[in-house]
Amino acid sequence: MSEEFEPKIIAFVCTYCTYAGADLAGTSRLKYAPNVRMIRLPCTGRISPMFILKALQKGADGILVSGCHPGDCHFTHGNFHARRRWTVFRSLLNFVGIPQERVWFSWISAAEGNKFAETINKMTEEIRKLGPFKQYQQLIEEMETPAKV
Amino acid sequence: MGALEILKDRAKQLLTAGEVKMVIGYGRGSTADRRRAIFISDEAQADKLVLDKSCEDNLAGYLVREGLLQDGKKVAIFLSPAGIRSVNVLAAEDQLNPDQVVILGFEIKGDQVSALDGHHVNGFIELVGQIKKQGLSKDREELIAKLEKMTPPERFEFWRAQFSKCLKCYACRQGCPMCYCRRCIVDRNQPQWINTSPHSMGNFEWNIVRAFHLAGRCVGCGNCERACPVGIPLMLLNQQMAAEVLSAFDHFAGMNSTQEPVLASFKREDPDTFIL
Amino acid sequence: MARIGVFICHCGENIAATVDCPKSAAALAEHPGVVVSMDYKYMCSDPGQEMIRKAIREHKLTGVVVAACSPRMHETTFRRACAEAGLNPYLCEIANVREQCSWVHSDREKATQKAIEIIRSMVEKVKRNSELQPIHVPVTRRALVIGGGIAGIQTALDIANAGQEVVLVERDLSLGGHMAQLSETFPTLDCSQCILTPRMVEAAQNPKIKLLTYAEVESVSGFIGNFKVKVRLKSRYVDIKKCTGCGACWTKCPARKIPSEFDCGLGNRTAIYTPFPQAVPNKPAIDRNNCIYFQKGKCGACAKICPTQAIDYQMKDEFVELDVGAIVVATGFQVQDTDVYGEYGYGKYPDVITGLQFERMASASGPTGGKILRPSDGKEPQTVVFIQCVGSRDPSKGLRYCSKICCMYTAKHTMLYRHKVHHGESYVFYMDIRAAGKGYDEFTRRAIEEDHACYVRGRVSKIYPQDGKLIVRGVDTLLGKPMEIAADMVVLATAAVAQADAKSFAQIVGIGYDENGFLNEAHPKLRPVETATAGVFLAGACQAPKDIPDSVAQGSAAASKVLALFSKDELEREPVIAKVNEITCAGCWACYLACPFKAIEKKEIRDRAGKLIKRVAYVNPGLCQGCGTCVALCRSNSIDLEGFTEKQIFAEVMGL
Repeated sequence: MSEEFEPKIIAFVCTYCTYAGADLAGTSRLKYAPNVRMIRLPCTGRISPMFILKALQKGADGILVSGCHPGDCHFTHGNFHARRRWTVFRSLLNFVGIPQERVWFSWISAAEGNKFAETINKMTEEIRKLGPFKQYQQLIEEMETPAKV
Repeated sequence: MGALEILKDRAKQLLTAGEVKMVIGYGRGSTADRRRAIFISDEAQADKLVLDKSCEDNLAGYLVREGLLQDGKKVAIFLSPAGIRSVNVLAAEDQLNPDQVVILGFEIKGDQVSALDGHHVNGFIELVGQIKKQGLSKDREELIAKLEKMTPPERFEFWRAQFSKCLKCYACRQGCPMCYCRRCIVDRNQPQWINTSPHSMGNFEWNIVRAFHLAGRCVGCGNCERACPVGIPLMLLNQQMAAEVLSAFDHFAGMNSTQEPVLASFKREDPDTFIL
Repeated sequence: MARIGVFICHCGENIAATVDCPKSAAALAEHPGVVVSMDYKYMCSDPGQEMIRKAIREHKLTGVVVAACSPRMHETTFRRACAEAGLNPYLCEIANVREQCSWVHSDREKATQKAIEIIRSMVEKVKRNSELQPIHVPVTRRALVIGGGIAGIQTALDIANAGQEVVLVERDLSLGGHMAQLSETFPTLDCSQCILTPRMVEAAQNPKIKLLTYAEVESVSGFIGNFKVKVRLKSRYVDIKKCTGCGACWTKCPARKIPSEFDCGLGNRTAIYTPFPQAVPNKPAIDRNNCIYFQKGKCGACAKICPTQAIDYQMKDEFVELDVGAIVVATGFQVQDTDVYGEYGYGKYPDVITGLQFERMASASGPTGGKILRPSDGKEPQTVVFIQCVGSRDPSKGLRYCSKICCMYTAKHTMLYRHKVHHGESYVFYMDIRAAGKGYDEFTRRAIEEDHACYVRGRVSKIYPQDGKLIVRGVDTLLGKPMEIAADMVVLATAAVAQADAKSFAQIVGIGYDENGFLNEAHPKLRPVETATAGVFLAGACQAPKDIPDSVAQGSAAASKVLALFSKDELEREPVIAKVNEITCAGCWACYLACPFKAIEKKEIRDRAGKLIKRVAYVNPGLCQGCGTCVALCRSNSIDLEGFTEKQIFAEVMGL
């Protein structure tokens, strides 16, 4: 029997809210699935769609982008720009068949350690149900296979 | 008098009077139904101008060729409504001064070509407004409906098959008036965000990023798709982006020459129902 | 070639219990570019830091990754250690394997694997780090203190007494805050106003303190050392420069039946009024909504009687712009709206009052002159029931937390009551008695043993009137029996909650808040008065419910932080700022339009003859705050953020 599939989740978070919220989850010793790897950025405004493409290339089965609630941005409105960017990019990904169920967005504040842990758990569980992102992983395989002469 | 004669006369007058240093228009191409851009600076050459239903290419991209408008002189250019909108986008992004552009406007409807009144881009604001009201182009409605009905894996497969044809020739980029960057992101190799090899992943990345970079900027002229030597339906991606920015932010690219770029601006009340 | 050192901290057992540190160190030793990889019990200790310094020198390291607690905790510590060994501090990165790994996982194997991946990713990042130099910015040596309660007063006085300028902004008419409303204070029973009013006067008279009362902060921009603050001076309709505070106006004002906010509605005030007799400044304002002149267009009694012509019905709000180097937020708390407790009948039965109303009643300067009298008939209550935790520690009413001050003030109330009504009986319904603090437990024992307060452990389920009494029905959980007390008056220890506008205010200042609206400190233990925004500090109950000693202590702590900041001519700022590649910038101005700090300028590039070649973006390093919004917007990747460059993030992701 094969082992249960463990999804690989890559999270891009801002340092002031979600990263701090994740720290709070730690300080509070909340337990959550070990499937997530965090990339810390100063602000969600800094998070570029390129990051998502590279996370997919690294075989991510799920991606989380998370930052401060609207109005709470340490940089006053970096997250408002991010929100527009993700509205558009998300629709594009969906249109080319990268399922929205694999790319998550959330507002998690520095005080929401609970929400962070819950989000990671929920995400891990739901992406586990979806299974590995085989279609994209085939692209990775193709890329890594040496060309036949 | 036909559209060609009207506009040709106007072009000649502009050149004779020295109002413009150049007219950018359409001339005969290598085959009967192919048209190519011609650049006329002498009114005697104006008779080379052609205008018919084959004049589909948007010539606006030539305006931002390095150095052309740097001397402050004016240039006249044959533009369809999509072309006029691209002048607005280029002006809003500070790539050109709209006062230097004299528009020789025309519209193709079926086999018919008609001349448009007006010469300054600001004279077409009402026209662009009407186009916005008509809604997004209904080209290939069936295909879009079919795509929307597909499951994500099916859609992925559709695009994988399409993108697998991509040669990374970047003709789509070269043809696009909005792709004016001095160095395209795909040509950056430190870091290499986009895999440049024409394998499926690289092709996915290139085509996604190209479409994203046109979000809220594409005017739907179709240059990219016509330029594509392998027939990837690039306009489907562009239309999806245009539909998204219109429904989410009421943004229609090229409304006027001072329009705020959709991704460099925001409203507090922008929708965010997808964010947990 | 990169020569990276990896240092993995056990943090005692905190990391080592779930993450196999030696195994992680061994795995990283194999990673390309890593020349030294070790683990140690406490990396932040002196020997731990010395290990790092020694390795930098011996192995000529070009980069350091410390796998330890959150960078929010010890990044500065480790970067300093690197600098001491001659390595540019920005070549040191922290891999967070405690808060975001060992503490949140229990499966040792998976946690170790995750830790290895986190560290590896950070090694890839640090290979692309560059040497950065801190940015120097000037400091405006003037502090803004927002809130004129005891915490704000203490902060302002401490800063001013150290010789620095302070602007103290209070939104009400007078300094004083909640403390001014209190009768006596625990655990000493000294009179609140007697100890507070001298401090209020001192603050008003201190030449270093500029006092702005009846004023609100409208906007804050800028950054540490260089904030710009806009303050609205609300119109009092009284020119306080002309006004002498003689009181002729409020004695003459015909609108006299307005419930006094200061007396929590137990007394009345006039339409032109000062909130209380010892107000600082002792200058009145007109309450427009209740003023006959403003509502009906005629009266003008105050203007007629005023000997200095200080009344000005045409007065408009004014705005002042302040340059300040530091901001202390001391905006306090409010009492929870008691409407949520329908079963206690507050608002319906006049003899059910809040603790704050009891304070006013017990206060010598209060509406009853310090006598304990039932609001319904003015009779002295013979039996009083005090109910604690009304709102606090009650998730069903929305508040999970303990309001901290109620146990003590309720004990105080029973004593004050007994001292004033010698034969009166008092009952206290409580959940737990929380009396931690110097002299606090002794104080509650005194209430019970000397002043005969009867403490009943249990909740009250209902209060209803019967024969002129209030029947309080509850349960004594120690006896396991229901209980009914026929009381003359009931006092509710209502929860202390965040100010109603705390969240929008926090957004103006640009600081964080918790789910209850209390403002967030930068670290709950080690940085209790700082906020996540450099240069903004907290004092008092705006952070969490606090009693007077705690508020005063935090006020002084915030002042010391401000003074430390003002001790330098220049500040060093993290060089995390954007930079432009002028060769590839196309001048589309997406960055210029989007920058939240207007830090991007249009720069002209000219040839030697002075002919304009092109315009490109330029980042003003003094204004850039390093959010990186511009970077993600730039289609041609022509702008980048130091410390979080495209290369670094790319490597970090690809290193996962």
